[in-house]
Amino acid sequence: MNTMEIAKIKRVVKDTQRIKTFILDIDVSAIPGQFVMVWLPDVDEKPMSVSYTSGDMGITILELGDFTRRLCELKVGGKIGIRGPMGRGFKVYGDRLLLVGGGVGMAPLAPLAEDAIKEGKEVTAIVGAITAKELLFVERLKKAGVRVFVSTDDGTAGYKGFTTDVLQELLQKETFDQCFTCGPEIMMFKVLNIAEDKEIPTQASLHRYFKCGIGICGHCVLDGTGLRVCKEGPTFRDKELRKSHEFGYYWRNAAGQKIYFGVKK
Amino acid sequence: MLDIELLGMELKNPLMLASGILGVSGASLKRVALSGGAGAIVTKSIGMTPREGHRNPTFVELDNGYLSAIGLANPGYVEFEEEIDVAKAGNVPIIASVYGFSFREYVEVGRVMEGYGADAIELNLSYPNVGKAGAFYGYSEELAHEVVAEVKKEVNLPVIAKLTAGAGDIVAIAKACEDAGADGITAIGSLRAMKIDIETGRPVLGNKMGGLSGSCIKPIAVRCVYEISREVSIPVIGCGGITTGEDAIEYFMAGANAVQIGTGLLSRGITIFKKVSLEIKEYMEENGYSGIDEIIGLAL
Ligand SMILES: Cc1cc2nc3c(=O)[nH]c(=O)nc-3n(C[C@H](O)[C@H](O)[C@H](O)COP(=O)(O)OP(=O)(O)OC[C@H]3O[C@@H](n4cnc5c(N)ncnc54)[C@H](O)[C@@H]3O)c2cc1C
Ligand SMILES: Cc1cc2nc3c(=O)[nH]c(=O)nc-3n(C[C@H](O)[C@H](O)[C@H](O)COP(=O)(O)O)c2cc1C
Ligand code: FES
Repeated sequence: MNTMEIAKIKRVVKDTQRIKTFILDIDVSAIPGQFVMVWLPDVDEKPMSVSYTSGDMGITILELGDFTRRLCELKVGGKIGIRGPMGRGFKVYGDRLLLVGGGVGMAPLAPLAEDAIKEGKEVTAIVGAITAKELLFVERLKKAGVRVFVSTDDGTAGYKGFTTDVLQELLQKETFDQCFTCGPEIMMFKVLNIAEDKEIPTQASLHRYFKCGIGICGHCVLDGTGLRVCKEGPTFRDKELRKSHEFGYYWRNAAGQKIYFGVKK
Repeated sequence: MLDIELLGMELKNPLMLASGILGVSGASLKRVALSGGAGAIVTKSIGMTPREGHRNPTFVELDNGYLSAIGLANPGYVEFEEEIDVAKAGNVPIIASVYGFSFREYVEVGRVMEGYGADAIELNLSYPNVGKAGAFYGYSEELAHEVVAEVKKEVNLPVIAKLTAGAGDIVAIAKACEDAGADGITAIGSLRAMKIDIETGRPVLGNKMGGLSGSCIKPIAVRCVYEISREVSIPVIGCGGITTGEDAIEYFMAGANAVQIGTGLLSRGITIFKKVSLEIKEYMEENGYSGIDEIIGLAL
């Protein structure tokens, strides 16, 4: 059953200037890549990736609009509702893994990296952010034993430019069994293209507007495939995404209208 | 064995997708038709202008059913042309569900859906969670009569009125719709209900009130179909809490000519239409029936 459970906040960590992690007093045993619907009574309910998947559950929030601002005001002891974990997590089968994360997109990738290292796999991560102060989970990854490359748009840390530039360069010299990505859709679209050239199977975690979060309302369905991002996703294989002419070009708002990322195709 | 003719449409089975379930985009409707095996698909209720709907939570699971308040979120009838075009590749009849905040809006959207090539129109007179739309018309004999009559004047497709058990006397409403020229009745839509979280003391749904669906409403819906079938001569489509072949057969026996499936998809997946079709077939074979029409109205 997918009923709502009320959780208490046990710990709050300020990860960056705009990102906070909330550790809750419930253990949902999620697979990295799965999400929960987070309810703030009288405010709203939105999907959040599970960023700490075993033991006390954690979610990591970028302050953006009203909902996330109200969420980020919560203190230890505060109560929120949780439905989940839901959706399909990442599927790991290779031994040499590459992660490409942009901004808060590192949230589902960090637990994936930790689990993989525990299983003796080799993990490399390219972590990107607009500026040094917004880099998420770099220390967490290094502590786990991940080889980390960093890029920032403004050059305040690591490579000055995009994660995809670092990716392109890295793939000149090395290869990987699998690639996992989460971040702005334009970035994931480019990651898929670059990895595909090198024949590296890639999984991406998508963001669409969620209402029910459970696969019944249809608001998150991808054109071209009919797949529900909340149910068959949010993680998809490159092959599945290639069948959708929507991926990389547009998404749908709360009313179900198409909103283009850049210029209309 | 399961194929039926309904309001001039050929259905390969009598199981339709209910409105508002995976129905806001063509890709989604097409998948329910092709992979799911639905005999017909009903679109999300579409109105004149784009609507974002209610804020979340819009859906929550209960012990014996579900509570939802999506709030008629839809892209509006202009943008929906593309979705109907895509849905046509599903190769099953498309019933366009229509709502409005006035008679004029119901008529206008109905006319446009006809232009897009829908096979029938279902008037949403049942949705209980948006002020003066949907159930607002289905609670009153006069309003229900007038909205059906107005639509029938300008729309040449079969017009089905979807009703709510929240009305004082659903049979009277059904008769008013038939009298106004409705070609069919769908009974029932979700029932106005609510859920309060006792740990926080807050209503769970963003809209506070929602519509109850799933197994818990089935006995009420079967009763409505039974009572309506006895009083009207137009086809009745049953809806509410169907998850198995037995559930569907109960509706047929109560007089339904076809049924719609909504939240049953959650427990049995998109292929619920194929599964329920098989279960109905098995029942018919075991009991020596060769066509659905032989069981329709058996209990009346
Ligand atoms: C599977 C999934 C996992 C996510 N994981 C995280 C995470 O780990 N950390 C994090 O900070 N954010 C995550 N998000 C995004 C998060 O759900 C919110 O969209 C975002 O935080 C918007 O915050 P806001 O409502 O305060 O901002 P607003 O200004 O209200 O919204 C900003 C934008 O967010 C999007 N959005 C708003 N409401 C929703 C909704 N109900 N569903 C989907 N998108 C919406 C829209 O694109 C909107 O334009 C995830 C989204 C999805 C679909
Ligand atoms: C998420 C959701 C959205 C719905 N949206 C609509 C709608 O737009 N129009 C409508 O007529 N009914 C709508 N309904 C009601 C269903 O069509 C159906 O009548 C109801 O769910 C009962 O059937 P069920 O028990 O099989 O789910 C909606 C139901 C749900 C759960
Ligand atoms: S959000 Fe409702 S189907 Fe995915």
